[in-house]
Amino acid sequence: MAMQALPGSPGTTRSQDAARRPRRPERSAGGRPRGREAWKTVLGLVLTALMLFPLYWMLNVSLTERSAIREASLYPRAFTLDNYRTVLGDQLPYLGTSMVVGLGTVVLTLVIAAPAGYALGKLLTRGRRTLSFLLIVAQMIPAVVMALGFYAVYTDLGVLDTLPGLILADSTIAVPFAVMLFSAFMSGIPQELLEAAQIDGASHTRTFFTVVLPLSRNAAVTVGLFAFLWAWSDFLFTSTLNRGGGDLRPITMGLYDYIGSQNQEWGQLMATAVLASVPTAVLLVVAQRFVAAGLTAGAVKD
Amino acid sequence: MITKSIRRTGLAATAVLAIVSLAACGSDSNGSAAGDGEPLTTVTFWDPYPQYDDSSDWAKYVESCAPEGTTLERTATPNGDILNSLTSAVREDNAPDVVLLDNPAVPDAAVSGLLASSDDVDLDIGDADENLAGPGLIDGKTYGVPIGANTLGLYYNADVLKSAGVDPASITDWASLDDALAAVTADGSSGITFAGIAGEEGTFQFLPWFWGAGASLTDPGSPEAVEAGQLLSDWIGEGYAPKSAITDNQSASWDLFLTGDYGFAVNGSWFAKAATEQDFEAVMMPIPAKDGGAAPVPTGGEFAVAPTHQSNAQAHYDAANEVIDCLVGNGNQVTTDDQLGYFAANAEERQTQIDADAIWTPWADAITNAQGRTSDLGADYTGTSGALSAAEQASLNAAGDEDAVSQAFAEAASSVSQ
Amino acid sequence: MVHQTEDIQDVQDVVRRPPAADVRADESATDDATAERRGRPRISRSTLAGLGFVAPLAVYMVLFYVYPLVENVSMSLHRFTRATYVTGEAPFVGTDIYREVVGFDAFWPTIGQTAVFVVVSLAFQYTIGLALAVFFQRSFPLSGVLRGLFLVPWLLPIIVSGTTWQWMMDADSGVINRLLGVVGVDPVWWLNADHALWAVIIANIWLGIPFNLVILYSGLQNIPTDLYEAAAVDGAGPWRQFWSITFPLLRPVTAITLLLGFVYTLKVVDIIWIMTTGSGSSQTLATWAYSMAFGKGSSAIIRYSEASAVGTVLLLVAVAMGFVYLAVQRRQEA
Repeated sequence: MAMQALPGSPGTTRSQDAARRPRRPERSAGGRPRGREAWKTVLGLVLTALMLFPLYWMLNVSLTERSAIREASLYPRAFTLDNYRTVLGDQLPYLGTSMVVGLGTVVLTLVIAAPAGYALGKLLTRGRRTLSFLLIVAQMIPAVVMALGFYAVYTDLGVLDTLPGLILADSTIAVPFAVMLFSAFMSGIPQELLEAAQIDGASHTRTFFTVVLPLSRNAAVTVGLFAFLWAWSDFLFTSTLNRGGGDLRPITMGLYDYIGSQNQEWGQLMATAVLASVPTAVLLVVAQRFVAAGLTAGAVKD
Repeated sequence: MITKSIRRTGLAATAVLAIVSLAACGSDSNGSAAGDGEPLTTVTFWDPYPQYDDSSDWAKYVESCAPEGTTLERTATPNGDILNSLTSAVREDNAPDVVLLDNPAVPDAAVSGLLASSDDVDLDIGDADENLAGPGLIDGKTYGVPIGANTLGLYYNADVLKSAGVDPASITDWASLDDALAAVTADGSSGITFAGIAGEEGTFQFLPWFWGAGASLTDPGSPEAVEAGQLLSDWIGEGYAPKSAITDNQSASWDLFLTGDYGFAVNGSWFAKAATEQDFEAVMMPIPAKDGGAAPVPTGGEFAVAPTHQSNAQAHYDAANEVIDCLVGNGNQVTTDDQLGYFAANAEERQTQIDADAIWTPWADAITNAQGRTSDLGADYTGTSGALSAAEQASLNAAGDEDAVSQAFAEAASSVSQ
Repeated sequence: MVHQTEDIQDVQDVVRRPPAADVRADESATDDATAERRGRPRISRSTLAGLGFVAPLAVYMVLFYVYPLVENVSMSLHRFTRATYVTGEAPFVGTDIYREVVGFDAFWPTIGQTAVFVVVSLAFQYTIGLALAVFFQRSFPLSGVLRGLFLVPWLLPIIVSGTTWQWMMDADSGVINRLLGVVGVDPVWWLNADHALWAVIIANIWLGIPFNLVILYSGLQNIPTDLYEAAAVDGAGPWRQFWSITFPLLRPVTAITLLLGFVYTLKVVDIIWIMTTGSGSSQTLATWAYSMAFGKGSSAIIRYSEASAVGTVLLLVAVAMGFVYLAVQRRQEA
């Protein structure tokens, strides 16, 4: 997802392998042959199972008839697929909206934060501390306060209940974080690399695009991941700024279709949550593969 | 003043960005932006029923109430958020034309200036029963019309009671209810589910016990109030009620009852239909008062209200008038209420409903004798309800401890008198 | 030990060494030339470029953060009710609201609960996150997939994960109490007033692990592998490698992870709200502000001003934390 916004992402898998290769001899030097790694896989599976137990519970409830959801049975004893039948018809458009909002937020966040991170991490010497200080404070403003403030502004601008408006609002969750992360990572890029580019006559802009950004792929993917997840799970901004979205409501609002004032359909709600998790879970696992290993270090070594 | 000017500065600054970043995305103007005197093209409508989506019968029914030459745009909001959304919207003068607002919130909304009164809108409560129309009457003006009503009853699982040898007819007061709970739990089943969650929903379910003990909302610290708190507290302490009652809302408490383990459940008339569709026999009886007889129960349900407008106000109010009339005027109310599973607010129309469907018969007396929550206190109810909710929460946590319960209600009394 | 640390320090220097002096001279020469051409002395080319790069952020921050911030402080100095919020005519009352808020019985206990919530959550989130990051640092069969799966909890809408935790912690039939029963522990009433704080801390730790794992893992990826190779040649075991390479080199990332974790944990409302509605000991400054701002929880009375005052308290804590971070950063750079 985030990779599309970044130059140099094709072929990442290859460079990832390249970066990992040097480690293998080290491993055998440490006296740990490859076959002995099975315990790690087993332990990893156990830990993941523990971590994902609440997800299992969600799946369990989504497959259970309403009359039994509070029986706390460890498996769906009163099994039903009705919840999915209901949800599939109602919720699919909302998934698409969430995807658009999520990706839009990723792009906007990267566009604002990556250059700023470069400036803070490498270019500006004065004012850098003040700015990172301000960013920390910006992170702290309770979303409640922001949402109330945005409402007035959005009304006047006519972006209430629109997707660009929601993307703008959702990006505020991620931007301070993104700038801080970018500046932390970019400040670690060896100065030699930048200077080499500049000696070749590249401008700061070109250096940024050809050297800094590709080297910051880890940070960019991390930022993109977070921006996406925060936008995906945001409820507060959505509920104040995009309530009347109709079919263009994100999935977090779609969930509320099952929460009436006196009656809540947890089975359907959980089924929606399961459906919403599947595409994003796939995305996550795929995105993980793109977090290239040790690129910066590799570049220095060469 | 200061806030206004600060806001304006902020707006100006933001406007700059808007031009830069959003120029490409043209924003469509809707009917509510029209100037004075212009007829509306869009009428907006909010209700707290997100469970009905755009393709539901309810949505189509509401949309059919659009005044001539307009389309009706319905937005469903979770009940807990609707008053706050309305506050923001009125402040920005883009409020909807009609809102279905939970009845205890109406006085608060009215005194806060969110609602147009009968001075501007021809709100006709018609022949709605006095106890049901009460929340909409403030200082001699009408601020809303009940779209219907619901209330609380005591459901029981006849199979569980039979197995425990309990005759439902023997349950006439608190003592006999406690005996029944003891018998049911001794038989291996669970006792009673209710919603003790913090907030209005918890208070709503607490009031039958509170009023049934003889307590009054004007004195939340009275010995009668403490008795009601003690009753529920003991249920937790004795294991008659699930400990999750402190966080259960009415839906969650109903889900527990649906497992078939519980003998009793305090819940609303909106589950009456669902109760007939279970594997076990679920029957409703009135909630008993402490010393016998049926306890007064609170009225539930929403009011149709018309929020205040600044620009082109009369056009909005006229539209509101037509929509509200279409929903609750002359005989239309039964159609509306049948959709929602509510009782009509008018005795005659209600009788028609009850005659048409036998499941409503046991509820007839309960709804006729139900009390408005805001009848005694008006807009001050909001504060007292909060204090009672805190006291109930503390009582449930005390799990029977008498000192803690009486202290909780003493605190409620002092927080209200402040 | 000493010898080895020096070795590592050397390699670290190679990686992070500041620009060589001669290159710097080159650059400043160009800068001077540029400055002369433009007739604007004393602003270097990098600074100019830096300002250009940071400009969008600056505009963005003024619009989206400064305004709500000013609005928040202003609200805490005026007495807002639902009615005056609508009309915008709330009277100015100076610091009255702050005095009232500090005078509430709930104020100091809430500060204490917030502190416990933040510190305990952070300690466990970070420790577990780091342990997992190290565990995943060297790939093993399935490691990529499992690492991805570890993030999935984050995808869940909070209303779903919060409710799931609430059910799992049900005192009478919850799966956690049943598991405790298997090992002979008495059932715990997780969500009552006394235990609620611990219940929400547990759920919040679970929620925070993915965040810590992702940042720390990607920090680990930036540690050059040859450092470990060198250490291994010197005979350092995994434990020694962790304490003399991983942990020290991870310090900047640790600082930022803890800082951000602190900020986010301080702000947490949703998971607490869904599990306990902030009742009993689970009330924190953030849930308190939320309940007052939106009239949620026991009382439906809206208290915008009081909520803003609590919000300002939160901001002051953040400012203090910001200073701490600056101090740490300065020490690291020194």
